[in-house]
Amino acid sequence: MSANNSVTTVQLGSVSQAVELPIHFLPCEIEHDGPAEVSQYFTSTVKDRKHELTVSFRGRGLKGQEVNCPEGYTGLVLKQVHKPSSDQEDGAVKVSSTFHNLTYWNLEIPPSTDDGVVMAMAWPKLADAIHGPVED
Amino acid sequence: MSTKKKRSPPTENSSWVVIATDSIVDVPKTATGEPTFVKLRNPSTGSASLYLFGSGDSDLYEVKAFTEDYHSWFIGQTVQRDGRLLYITQMDPLYLLLPYLLKAGAEGKFQPVEQVVKDEDFPGCTRLLSCTRSLKSLHHVADEKEVGSLKFHRVSQEKTLDWLKKKVERTVSTLRKSNISVGGGVKSSTFIRVKQEEQASDEDYLRYAHGLVSEYISEDLRKDLLKHLQLPELSSPKQEPPAKKRKLSDLPVEAKDDYTKLNSSDFTRKPPKKMTAAQKSLAKVDKTGMKSLSAFFSPKVKQEKH
Repeated sequence: MSANNSVTTVQLGSVSQAVELPIHFLPCEIEHDGPAEVSQYFTSTVKDRKHELTVSFRGRGLKGQEVNCPEGYTGLVLKQVHKPSSDQEDGAVKVSSTFHNLTYWNLEIPPSTDDGVVMAMAWPKLADAIHGPVED
Repeated sequence: MSTKKKRSPPTENSSWVVIATDSIVDVPKTATGEPTFVKLRNPSTGSASLYLFGSGDSDLYEVKAFTEDYHSWFIGQTVQRDGRLLYITQMDPLYLLLPYLLKAGAEGKFQPVEQVVKDEDFPGCTRLLSCTRSLKSLHHVADEKEVGSLKFHRVSQEKTLDWLKKKVERTVSTLRKSNISVGGGVKSSTFIRVKQEEQASDEDYLRYAHGLVSEYISEDLRKDLLKHLQLPELSSPKQEPPAKKRKLSDLPVEAKDDYTKLNSSDFTRKPPKKMTAAQKSLAKVDKTGMKSLSAFFSPKVKQEKH
């Protein structure tokens, strides 16, 4: 049997219970998955000066800004609720939290419209152009 | 390759940060079934990519990953190591149906699409025919014949190229309205974008849009479409269209069964990682489909390496 047979279901019932959580995109890889005291040691030390956010994280200066999800789009954090034990087994994910904007951080460099995340937010519009129905 | 210290393998606790079109979660009460991620044959590479069927299979969506090296998330009071940002956006199912129609078209016969859209390796492909748009849009790429209540189709190269041309034109008009750099600005060696000051030419827009649409068609069609748009093939690397640049990220496609190579492809310099079965199930499906975003929008990724 083909491994491409398996599907992963999105449990829509979870959407109504999903809370909106603040979300930060950090310019480093953290070798950890799980709880952390983000608001105590990170969020509470963020400084907001003239729309530029700054924070010190592990002794490094981060500069960041908030970006909104494109109109008509919502941020979802999908979490595995059923982990397939093999390639052939179906999986399921639930919506564990949502977001409408995210804060991204650069290492030392001030945020600009050239930042990858900002440019990536243009993708949905392009996708609409490439995939929207054409007229006869 | 990175000389960093060896990293610990990711844990089992996997989730995905996604920006999704609202129609996936705002489904009418009458809808049956829940959205499902499936693996289907990528029309450009021929290998597996990840897609999503909306409730009741009425719509198809594409899953693309924005990947920058060395990134992680804070989500509320948790850390998530996997720093990918996934986009789920609408997808025209006709792009995925076309390879099947073209394959059958070699026989030159009119056939029922149900007979044509079959794939041992990707059994989910038959669900494409349930998408509301699919049957309604077949006439864009195929001649139709009706016998009684039955419909038969035969792919038409001419119609297909006209349809793709319309796609390119739509894309050009969106590019013009956005401030995405398509021309001179992105070619500079520093990769610093020059926005409106430097006027991109009509050809710049056309080539860029052709590159974007080419992401969804075979190499042969890509070339034919270029001719149809009356654009000569470029050989000078200075004027590389996006399609060519993306070659870089398409390179590791043949390593498709090696899941550990997933994140080391593209421009990223990540050492191969061990992935959990859960991560593999979503991650392995994408070899090209989910990683091209950074190639389009983030010419600076190379700076990211340490």
